[in-house]
Amino acid sequence: MNVTLSDKNILSEKKEFTGVHPQKFALWLAMASMTMFFASLTSALLVKKGDFTVWENFRLPSVFLYSTITVISMSIVLQYALYCYRHAKFSMFRPSMLVAFLLGCSFLALQFTGWQQLKAMGMTLTGNLSASFVYLITAMHGVHIIAGLILTLLFIFFAIRSRKDPIYELRDIINPKRQLNLEMLVSYWHFVDIVWVYLYIFFRLNYQ
Amino acid sequence: MQTAQSIENAHAQGHSGVEHPHEETFLTKYIFSQDHKMISKQFLITGMLWAIIGGFLSILFRLQLGWPNETFPFLESILGKWAEGGKISQEFYNALITMHGTILVFFVLTGGLSGTFANFLIPYQIGARDMASPFVNMLSYWFFFSASMVLLFSFFIQTGPASGGWTAYPPLNGMRNTAINLGSGLGFDLWILAMALFIISVLLGGLNYVATVLNLRTKGMNMMKMPLTIWALMFTAIIGLLSFPALLAGVVLLEFDRLLDTSFYLNNIVINGHLLGYKGGSPILFQHLFWFLGHPEVYIIIIPAMGIVSEVLSVHSRKPIFGYKAMVFSIMTILILSFLVWAHHMFVTGLNPNLGAVFALFTLLIAIPSAIKVFNWIGTLWRGKIRLTSAALFAIGFVSMFISGGLTGIILGNSTLDIQLHDTMFVVAHFHIVMGVAAFFGMFAGVYHWFPRMYGRFMNETLGQIHFYITLIGAYCIFFPMHFMTGLPRRYYSYANFDTFNNFDHLASFISISAIVVFIGQLIFVVNFFYSIFKGRKLEGVKHEDGYEYANPWEANSLEWTAPIDRLHGNWPGEIPTVHRWGYDYNVNGREFTPQNEPIRPGEVVNG
Repeated sequence: MNVTLSDKNILSEKKEFTGVHPQKFALWLAMASMTMFFASLTSALLVKKGDFTVWENFRLPSVFLYSTITVISMSIVLQYALYCYRHAKFSMFRPSMLVAFLLGCSFLALQFTGWQQLKAMGMTLTGNLSASFVYLITAMHGVHIIAGLILTLLFIFFAIRSRKDPIYELRDIINPKRQLNLEMLVSYWHFVDIVWVYLYIFFRLNYQ
Repeated sequence: MQTAQSIENAHAQGHSGVEHPHEETFLTKYIFSQDHKMISKQFLITGMLWAIIGGFLSILFRLQLGWPNETFPFLESILGKWAEGGKISQEFYNALITMHGTILVFFVLTGGLSGTFANFLIPYQIGARDMASPFVNMLSYWFFFSASMVLLFSFFIQTGPASGGWTAYPPLNGMRNTAINLGSGLGFDLWILAMALFIISVLLGGLNYVATVLNLRTKGMNMMKMPLTIWALMFTAIIGLLSFPALLAGVVLLEFDRLLDTSFYLNNIVINGHLLGYKGGSPILFQHLFWFLGHPEVYIIIIPAMGIVSEVLSVHSRKPIFGYKAMVFSIMTILILSFLVWAHHMFVTGLNPNLGAVFALFTLLIAIPSAIKVFNWIGTLWRGKIRLTSAALFAIGFVSMFISGGLTGIILGNSTLDIQLHDTMFVVAHFHIVMGVAAFFGMFAGVYHWFPRMYGRFMNETLGQIHFYITLIGAYCIFFPMHFMTGLPRRYYSYANFDTFNNFDHLASFISISAIVVFIGQLIFVVNFFYSIFKGRKLEGVKHEDGYEYANPWEANSLEWTAPIDRLHGNWPGEIPTVHRWGYDYNVNGREFTPQNEPIRPGEVVNG
């Protein structure tokens, strides 16, 4: 068979893979990069904390515990959504994606409440460095959450639009490209959630 | 039928969906292209424009340094209020050196160099149709382009571009106070925005480069058969992925200080007798975050050039590369060490001297892999049948520059010596030779060597040779005398008030004249480049059965020359060639050269 270039997918020929789809591998590299970003921020915090003359200690607002529970449950829901997708249970897949999305939104709301509580304690952004760091790091993490929410919303949009027509379902949801995208999206969420759990433990150890 | 089958194939392999045949429009082919070759050319040409701008800025401040008492009326007509009466203002002088550094370090030698050659060579040389994610690759260029636009825009605002040094140290840059420094106003906010966009571009590109090299190699291309260019570009991308986030964190904190009045880097600032409210910050923290990128950054700049030079030297001296494995492991060593030496930029910040000794030790250790590489390049040249093409000349020039600049690195790496030499012209001479000029030489070698692959035409060889000799001699004339300007501080607007430095006036004028000559010499290259794209000597090819013409102008072994002269999307019209040997079989087993895709014949001595 004479295959023309445009017919074959430029990436799907037999190659020496590391066993992972290259785009998924690229996502892992991106995670390494994001890890370095948060490592830089938290090590900056540690450096400043070592300076006893400026550091003003305070107790971390309790609401951050609830946001931690929220991201963990979000990860579980997303894993369940992926399970439903893989077993073609779309009636459960769509609502669980929606629940995950709402959990992500409520995480942001809880973080915002955390800021309000900090403010009520008298720890403002421009006040002591110890508080500035909490605002800064939660904000930077929040940016990653927002990015994830936008991508999730796109996915939900396709899933809901195609719910009535099996042809659309094939085109927009059930194909290898979408499956790869969904797997990458779920991995990204797990990563961002784990980063928050790390940050929460880090904060708890440093603010007490 | 055919389509149905390929759909099945795509599904069976479980990867991304089918790519339907589509018409290429001007917009998808030249502007929002997802083809690695076009993206590489976009990076190259954007980088070249930046290099011209950045170089021109240096000519402007060299006018001030070379002839501090003269006026140049034409400056006022082009710079307006920044050069009233034909003399560059002090504020603008600072902006010039700041932007010169930023543009050359980031936009030319990182974006322009890595962006061009990683995009161009990785898919070609490992035998891949394109990058792991062509779309993300396109994004990488467009983030680079937006960063460029933001930075360019900052030249045209009321308060002028950033002027607090390319290292952006607080507290000078930590406040939006234009009363102290004009460039610390909006100009510096734009600088930070440009850098943030630029970092995103580098990260998106880097993900692709590493993922492509590790996942998309053709059959038989195991890691130890890869050309050294690929090793170099992959390690460069890894360094970028791990170090650029630290700079991003650093500038985010800086922008918090500037816009939201936090005090991460600021403490007890007194301006005009008033104590400002900033409390508890430390400017040294920024230096740590900055140099945690800043030092690996110099390897991000030089390692791609090293890879290009290794390839070009081997091809043009018709000899196998000397010490292939040593080359790979020395880049790997440099990669690891590059993360352990950042504080050698901070010996004078009050760093604990014992800690300084540790950093000095690691810094000096880098001399070992560097020396191994230099030895191997010379070993490759030794008794080779060297073809002195422009590409080869620039590669040899790279080795010369790298040695000259590397030797002063040993001096500056010692904390005891560096504390004396810190912020003097000696440092300027060192890093310009070792990473500025040397990296440019690597880039030129690469452009002359791969130009036929990029455009199907040659660059003019005579102009190339003239370009080389002007650049080599001129660059030494600029930077070598700087070693002997004893104690002369860098970044000063004028030395008129210091009697000690009076006797350097003629030397400074000489350097400035050399700089102008070298800058004009680069315009020869620019003219040659653009002229050759349209009118250069055509690459003569041989027509194969599949109807495509093939050519191997340098008689090189690597896979990029097994693709047709026409740059197809997907690179090879049929199957991707399978690799059977390493890429450096020149003049072994009785053959001038043996491409990587030729099977090993019986009785052949297998190398690499």
